[in-house]
Amino acid sequence: MDAFFRRLLYYFRRRQFEAELAEEMEHHAALSGQPKFGNVTLLKEDSRAMWTWPFWEQLGQDLRYALRTMANNKTFTALAALSLALGIGANTAIYSFMDSILLRSLPVQNPESLVMLNTRSQPRNASPSQAKGKQAKRESVMHSSMTTSGSSFNDPKTGFNAGVFPYPAFELFQKSDSIFSIVFAYYGTGPLNLSIKGQADVANGEYVSGDFFRGLGVPPAAGRLIAGDDDKAGAPAVAVVSYSFSQRRFGGAANAEGQSILINNVPFTVIGVAPPEFFGIDPAALPDYYLPMHANLLLQLGPILSANSYLDQNFYWIEIMARLRPGVSMEHAQATLAPQFHQWVLSTARNDGERADLPKLVIKEGAGGLDALRRQYSKPLYVLLTLVGLILAIACANIANLLLARATARQREMAVRLSMGAGRWRVIRQLLTESVLLASLGGALGILFAAWGIRVLTVLLANGRENFTLHAELNWHVLGVTIALSVLTGVLFGLAPAIQSTRVDVIPALKEARAGEQVRRSFLHVSLSQVLVVSQIAISLLMLVAAGLFVRTLSNLQKVDLGFNRENLLLFQLNARQAGHQDADIATFYSDLQKRFSGIPGVRSATLSRVPLVGGASMGTIITAGGEQQVGNLVLPVGPSFFTTMQIPMLLGREIEERDQPGSPVVAVVNELFAKAAFGDDNPIGRHINLVGPKRDIEIVGVSKTARYAELKSDNQPVVYIAYNQGAFGPVSQVAYELRTAGNPLNYVNSVREIVHQADARVPLSNVKTQAAQVDQAINQEIIFARLCTTFAILGLLIACVGLYGTMSYNVAKRTNEIGIRMALGAQRVGVIWMVLRQVFVLAMVGLAIGLPIALATSKFVESFLFGMKPDDPWAISVAVAVLVAAAVIAGYAPARRASKIDPRVALRHE
Amino acid sequence: MEERTEIPPGTLYMLILKTLLRVGPMHGYGIAQHIQQISKEVLQIEEGSLYPALQRMLIKGWVVGEWRQSENNRRARFYSLTPKGRKQLAAEIAEFEKVMAAITRVIQTA
Repeated sequence: MDAFFRRLLYYFRRRQFEAELAEEMEHHAALSGQPKFGNVTLLKEDSRAMWTWPFWEQLGQDLRYALRTMANNKTFTALAALSLALGIGANTAIYSFMDSILLRSLPVQNPESLVMLNTRSQPRNASPSQAKGKQAKRESVMHSSMTTSGSSFNDPKTGFNAGVFPYPAFELFQKSDSIFSIVFAYYGTGPLNLSIKGQADVANGEYVSGDFFRGLGVPPAAGRLIAGDDDKAGAPAVAVVSYSFSQRRFGGAANAEGQSILINNVPFTVIGVAPPEFFGIDPAALPDYYLPMHANLLLQLGPILSANSYLDQNFYWIEIMARLRPGVSMEHAQATLAPQFHQWVLSTARNDGERADLPKLVIKEGAGGLDALRRQYSKPLYVLLTLVGLILAIACANIANLLLARATARQREMAVRLSMGAGRWRVIRQLLTESVLLASLGGALGILFAAWGIRVLTVLLANGRENFTLHAELNWHVLGVTIALSVLTGVLFGLAPAIQSTRVDVIPALKEARAGEQVRRSFLHVSLSQVLVVSQIAISLLMLVAAGLFVRTLSNLQKVDLGFNRENLLLFQLNARQAGHQDADIATFYSDLQKRFSGIPGVRSATLSRVPLVGGASMGTIITAGGEQQVGNLVLPVGPSFFTTMQIPMLLGREIEERDQPGSPVVAVVNELFAKAAFGDDNPIGRHINLVGPKRDIEIVGVSKTARYAELKSDNQPVVYIAYNQGAFGPVSQVAYELRTAGNPLNYVNSVREIVHQADARVPLSNVKTQAAQVDQAINQEIIFARLCTTFAILGLLIACVGLYGTMSYNVAKRTNEIGIRMALGAQRVGVIWMVLRQVFVLAMVGLAIGLPIALATSKFVESFLFGMKPDDPWAISVAVAVLVAAAVIAGYAPARRASKIDPRVALRHE
Repeated sequence: MEERTEIPPGTLYMLILKTLLRVGPMHGYGIAQHIQQISKEVLQIEEGSLYPALQRMLIKGWVVGEWRQSENNRRARFYSLTPKGRKQLAAEIAEFEKVMAAITRVIQTA
């Protein structure tokens, strides 16, 4: 305690204390007769350190000095902080997305004890066109299946993974109460018509079993949630709405309870509201409402779903999650339940073909919810994370290089400090403070940059899609990683130069102000910075090659011939059936609307089809022509003027017209591919084809040029366009309208809404967008990739060029004398420029020589992202090399020019 | 340059305290001289360690300083022991003897 006060006193009487110490030492010197008194400054520092709290005091000093140094070297500070900020920011932004997609658990109780049930069977043929010829139709106990969440997918390696089960299998799992404490099921409703007080909308919801909310351990935000008794055939129609929906449509969770909503024209009572953070079990979705599973019987969903579906052992449609009992491991659950499921599924097989490939039960972790989003984005995100990691590496190399150059420039300062009695650690600490401060500045700027980047990325990823639910945010996880990154880089690039600059031999460094030919040392310096520059160039090349590959993929995709004109087309979808229209009047309703849309001033023509083009959705069935079964056909039911509106040229015959009415002969237009495949060189007009599914006889009235249907990336397929309203392809419910407009299609949305509202206010518009946007969404991932990778590559290149520029400038400055002598001896300016540029070339070539093999070896990893090209695409690689060399020359030219401007007289007099 | 023997680490405080106990209030130079003479020139105290040690002892409250006239008619700080310093000296000597005895045992059981 006393010591504390004695120290405190020092702060008030510092000057006196120091004077006393000095006097005491002078006295000592006088008595001993030795004037020299060792390192007085160090002694003073030491004694000051004793009296005070030196750590904080020195930290304050160091910070003050560091700030002063930074203010004196604004360009250096700006370059360094900016390149770090870009590196750290890009990493944080991408990591935030990874965190929200790949790492975050569901916001429910004990997510780690949740498991998800899946099955796995032999891989299936990806597309019918790949299964050429009379392939053996694979038989499966899954006679039919239905999935909305993307939990079923084909993997050539592990097989066909299905996330759906028949309802009886759900009942089987519910009996396994030694393994599971609770089992619950759900599946997506898809878009349904949802109407509140006469205002209709299209909304997605989730059907859930009675134990869904109890199983997840989610409490209600208001009212109560769906429980056991609600999920029974004949139970009252009740619904739970999401928190955000209650705010949007009822003005708050408290107001929602007891409200009535119409879903597909069936009244439901809202009994409660889910908590704000809850988004269901699929991170890719945010259901607006939850209905008891058995409520699907009320909604008349057509022939696919009926009370019988709950008994059908071969109809796979519900998704199942469960909670492991405490102490039960996933392996144990798998080992116990797989044989039980096998037994059960064996009993549902009807013949040997089905028995040959029975689905096997697979129990997966359920903490992260459904993994469709993770599957879709994990690989792209890892690629992006690699790229931003490379940017950070370039930035760090840059900082190290800049600091290295500066450390050499500051050798004299260090020598002065050491000779004045500064301790070595004290100097290292000072330098470390500077670089950590620089890193913190970069980190802070980086966080700003990341926040901006996340917003931009979200917009990019959503790309105009409604209900895009992936909301990444800077959370403390991400923040921690960023701060760790910035401090680590600070220490890493601060330490090496700090130690090096304090290893100065005081005397020579003091004597040789600048011309100091410490040949060995400066040789080492240059080579270290050359190593850094070369690695920056190699990394830049990697990124440029990646960018080149993705840009070229995108341009290949954009060059894909659609076969129709995408410009000035407005798209939207209507579903009259969900709003209460019945079969007889649906066709009239749709055709009436089509006429009214055509009458809007500025609309050149209007048509409709069952699905929009290039929307990913396609329809198909087995078609026979001339008694022969055709392979890999697609069917698209379309309305009158479809070919006129889409501007798909007719090659023969006519298109579908007004006269093709319900009751008149059923007609179709086929595309060229189909005509060739089915009829060879014969004229198909007037020939008949048969749809095997709906068993209809159809006359071909026209042949169109081949145009894109569902996808951009796969090959064009034979397509049969049939009249949508002649009942040839099942009952019509949802249709997409296409309007060819003069000028911006979005200008016509209001007129369209008005017309639909007048016709029937219960029918909402959905998926309103232009055809161009629709195509862009189909290649959204490629667009994002091309843009991000180009941005990252340019960033990396810029940072690397700063490094190259810095190194060359430093070299030129150091060689001022030498160059002056050369010029005095008659060297030409051009020669001097060449001399410097040659060095740049050598660095660039070494970088290329290292980077090219690495680029060639690693580009294979992104092969699955590429379209219409190989990963060793010569175009992408040569452009990358050209850009890199050009950038290197530009970065090197300024220092080269400066070298050529050296005046020999000044240079020689310089020292 | 004559050979100097480094004073064993950790014993400087003890030497200074013992000197002050024997000679009473004394300035830094005097303390160094005294230790040198008594040790027959074996122990040389450098100023670089003497004054920091004295400062530390001031902070710890083992000694107090007082400015007085010195033999060359200049002002000098005379250090003297405090009761706390006496206690510390006893403790340091006890500790030192314990260590010395131990070391002696080690080297004699060769």
